Formats: sequence, structure tokens, C-alpha cells
Amino acid sequence: MSQWFVSHLILIQGTFISLLLALSIQVPLRAGVFSFAGIGSYALGAYTAAILTIRLQVAPVIAIGAGVLLAAVVGYLLALLVARLSGLYLGMATIAFALFLGVAATNGGELTGGPTGLFGAISTLTTAHVIAVTLVVVLLLAAGERGAYGRRVDAVREDPQLAVTLGIDVNRVRRRVFVVSGALGATAGGMYTLLRTTVSPETIGFHLVVTALTMIIVGGSLSWAGAAIGALIFTWLPTVLQFVGEWQLLVYGLLVTAAAVYVPGGILGLLQSGWRRYQRSRRPAVRPGAAAAAAGEHEAPLATLGTPGEVRS
Amino acid sequence: MTTVEPRGGATEAGGRAAVLRTEDVAVHFGGIKAVDGIDLALEQGRILGILGPNGSGKSTLLAAITRLVPLTRGRLLLDGEDYGRTPPSRLAHRGIARTFQTVRLLPELTVLGNIQLGADLRRSRSERLRELVRRDVPAAVREAVERTGLGDLLDLFPGELSYGTARRVEIARALASRPRVLMLDEPTAGMNQPERLEVAGLLRRLRDEGLTQLLVEHDVQMMVDTCDRLLAMNQGLPIAEGAPADVVRDPAVQEAYLGKRWNRAGDR
Repeated sequence: MSQWFVSHLILIQGTFISLLLALSIQVPLRAGVFSFAGIGSYALGAYTAAILTIRLQVAPVIAIGAGVLLAAVVGYLLALLVARLSGLYLGMATIAFALFLGVAATNGGELTGGPTGLFGAISTLTTAHVIAVTLVVVLLLAAGERGAYGRRVDAVREDPQLAVTLGIDVNRVRRRVFVVSGALGATAGGMYTLLRTTVSPETIGFHLVVTALTMIIVGGSLSWAGAAIGALIFTWLPTVLQFVGEWQLLVYGLLVTAAAVYVPGGILGLLQSGWRRYQRSRRPAVRPGAAAAAAGEHEAPLATLGTPGEVRS
Repeated sequence: MTTVEPRGGATEAGGRAAVLRTEDVAVHFGGIKAVDGIDLALEQGRILGILGPNGSGKSTLLAAITRLVPLTRGRLLLDGEDYGRTPPSRLAHRGIARTFQTVRLLPELTVLGNIQLGADLRRSRSERLRELVRRDVPAAVREAVERTGLGDLLDLFPGELSYGTARRVEIARALASRPRVLMLDEPTAGMNQPERLEVAGLLRRLRDEGLTQLLVEHDVQMMVDTCDRLLAMNQGLPIAEGAPADVVRDPAVQEAYLGKRWNRAGDR
């Protein structure tokens, strides 16, 4: 086990970092916000961690935490800036934000190390730390998908106007989503940089947008679990696909296309609908209420069906 | 129908306190005057019906009252206080609940989940946190389920429901927020006659318990049987107001309603 762990360390680290990055896109998508600001936040977190570690030799928790804080604040300001945008336009604006940071890093002179980037960000961050942080994040996000919190985000995504009439401040939910997305992206960027001890404009480029989106389209965007499935698949697929050699990219493309066309909910959506079908098959065939409503048997008065005690949760 | 008239008359004479009032409310979309100067008063524990042919501005008026479209002019008063600048999401917290003309349930949530959404705004932070570990159903939700007779369907998803049942879920969702004022936009559209009667009965029972309601409907008979007062609209303007039986007999209302129908039949 530990032998396997050591020999696959890079992939294991990659899985968790990718998961955090994918979550920074999944969290807004779940709320119906088509934002890639998480990718820009990844860049913010990466460079902040590298600069603070190299120049001030601070502890990794401070180096990463500062980046997370910065990205959260920037995320909030960005949310105010793009408050009126949605859909494709919002996607474009937030990709522009990520690309802008790449240009800034390239031309940042001594501070960012220019096109070659920064080296020697050596810290005490370990794989165990990364795994622990990711698990805590996943736990919090999973809780946020349950109960009233989850339902309210569902409402904001599916029908913002309805959400408003249910007392939900849709704009506030959107702003929060930007903050969380920023924090997640920066966590991923900061940790990745400190694990690799280096960061450059190349590592924060457009490919991150593609990677994160690919993971979510194939895995599923409605839950953290979808992001986890996607992160697992696309981190480990290259090792599985070694035999196809240079055709790898083609296989990727086919996978994403197939997922987008045939399973819009991703693998997670497929699993969920399968589970629902299974549950339905176990349910008794006759549903008194439904049958009465369909047949119009008004002898079954509305108020007599189902007493409080019968309410299933 | 005979019982309606005295009740309507009593309303006029009794002068109950208005929970919600509009003054000269107008909504114009460019040159189109969807709503153009409506005064109405929702009296405590009464049902006000808004009657009118398609495109007469009923739904726009409802959207204006619930702050979903901006007013071109006029005032909106809740308990005598102008709420014309209150964000629409705050209105639910102040006890205004509404349904829409079309079914608007969340497809990913079960019937129970959809009804819970209505009650969620009344839940405190600690109640929401507790729900993460223990899936309890608040009393308001159970009550709403019981009233609408959805007890057997709670585990189903909206896609599995008949249209009439889906509409009942929407009413249940609105009731679960324990509103002071309930606004229903054609709640029985797409329902069969027995279902319509059930809903009408439910609305009357809620009224008798003191729930103030605004009802937009096409079904004239249901409006006469259910409402305490009627406001008839045509082309954004009020054409008649008063006791239901009087309003439906009003020549202007007859013309707006029946005239349209005759014309439409003639077109075919």
C-alpha cells in the first residue's frame, strides 16, 4: 500500500488538487452561475503562496491562507462587477479575468519572475495536509448541498425569479458563490505551487479552464461528487491511456463530447437517475393520491389524504 | 351563489382593515400599458378575485404587487406602509406568498423538497444546521401537505406528477411559508372539475381561518363561488368592482368577456 502510495504520489496529489480546482467551477455552476473566476483565483493563490514563501519564508498555512483571503475578496469585488452578466457573457468575462492574471504574471517583473516564473518556494506542506484540507472542504460542501441550504441553491439555479418569491436573496447567493469559488481556486493554486515549489505563467494558463470544465462535464456539475468523479477520471486516465499514445487527446475529446451529448448530467446524473429508477421500481404500483387525482375521484377529499404522522422524510 | 351577495355587501359596508393596498398602480412596457391605474384593497381574511380576459393585465398586476416588475407609477402599501422599494425577496419574509400561472417546481427535488422550500425562509440558522444531521419536517410543511392531500406523493419527483397535482404542490409550497397574504395566479388551470372544486373548497377554508387572498382566475363560476369581492379588468384598466354576482352581471364585464369569446369563435 505505502509502496503504491509513494510510486503514485504525483497522481494522488494531482487528484486532490484537481478536485479543489474542479470544485471552484462546480460550486458556481451548481448555483447556475457560469463563472470561471475560480481559475483566476487559482493563479492568485499560486503566486501569493510562492511570493510569500520565497520572500518572507512564512509557514505554508499563512502563505496559502493569504492567497485564499485575497482571492475571496477579489471574488466578491468581481461578483459586484459582473452582477448584471449571466450565461455565456459571464463565462467570457471570467475567463478574461483568468487570462488577464496570466498576462500580469508574465509582465510582473521581479515580483512574479516574468515569463520564467518563480522557483524555490520550499515549504513543509505535505500530501497529508493536502488530503486533509480537501476532505474538510468536501465535507463542508456536501453539508451545503443538503437540507435548506441545498434546496435554496437549487432554486437559485433552476428558477431565480421563483427563488426571489420564496424569500431568497438571489444576488447575495451569487456573491457568496463567487467568494467560495475564489477561496477554493486559491487553495488549489497555493497548495499545488508549494508542493511543486515553483509557479510560472504556463502553469496558470487557459488549459486549467479546459481541465476543470472537462472534469465537471463528464463527472456532473450538480454535486461535489460529480467533480470528484471527474477529477479521478481525468487525473488517472493518462496512465490508463498510455497505450494509445498520441491519440490520447482524441479519446479525451470523444469522452467530453459523448458526455455533453448523451449524459448532460454527467456520470453522477446517470448514477442518480439509475438510483431513482431503482427506487421507483420498488414502490407499490398503485399510488392512491395520484390515481385519485388522475381519475378525478373527488370523493377522496384533499384534506383527508395523509395525516401528519404519515409524512415521510 | 345567493350567499355571496350579502357577504360582498358586508365587505363594502363593514370596511375591514386592508392588509394590502395598491394606489393607481401602472406598469407600462414601452408603449404597452399592461396595467394602467389599478386601486385595490385586500381586506383581512377575505378573498379578492381579479377577473379578466387573456392579456387584460391580471398577471402583470400580480407581478407588480409582488415587486417582480417595476411600477411605472402608483404606490404599494402593506399594513399602510409603502413597500414600493422593498426588494422582492423581503416580501416573502413579510408574509406574502404567491404561485405562478405555470408550474414552477424544481425538477431535482421531490414533492416534499419542493414544499419544504416554502418553509425554509421561516427556519432559523440553528434549525437549518440541525436539518443537516436530522431530517425533520417542520409542522408548517406537514400542515401544508395535509391540507393539499399530498401525503402519499411526497417521494415523487415533479416529472411524475399530473398537471393538476403539480399545481397542488405549488399551493402547498406557498402555504408552507405560513403566509399572511396568499396570491394565486390561475391555481386551477389545467385541473379537472373535481380538482377545481377541491381547490376552491381549500381556499374557502383558508379564508375562514383568516388567510387573506388574492385570486386570479378564468373560471367565472369558481370566482363567484369563492371570492368575497371581484375586480374585473380589461386592457390594463379596471372596468368593474364589487360583489361577485354584481360584477359578473356588469355590462362592461359581459362585453369584455363574452364579446371576446364570440369574436374568437367567429374567427374559426
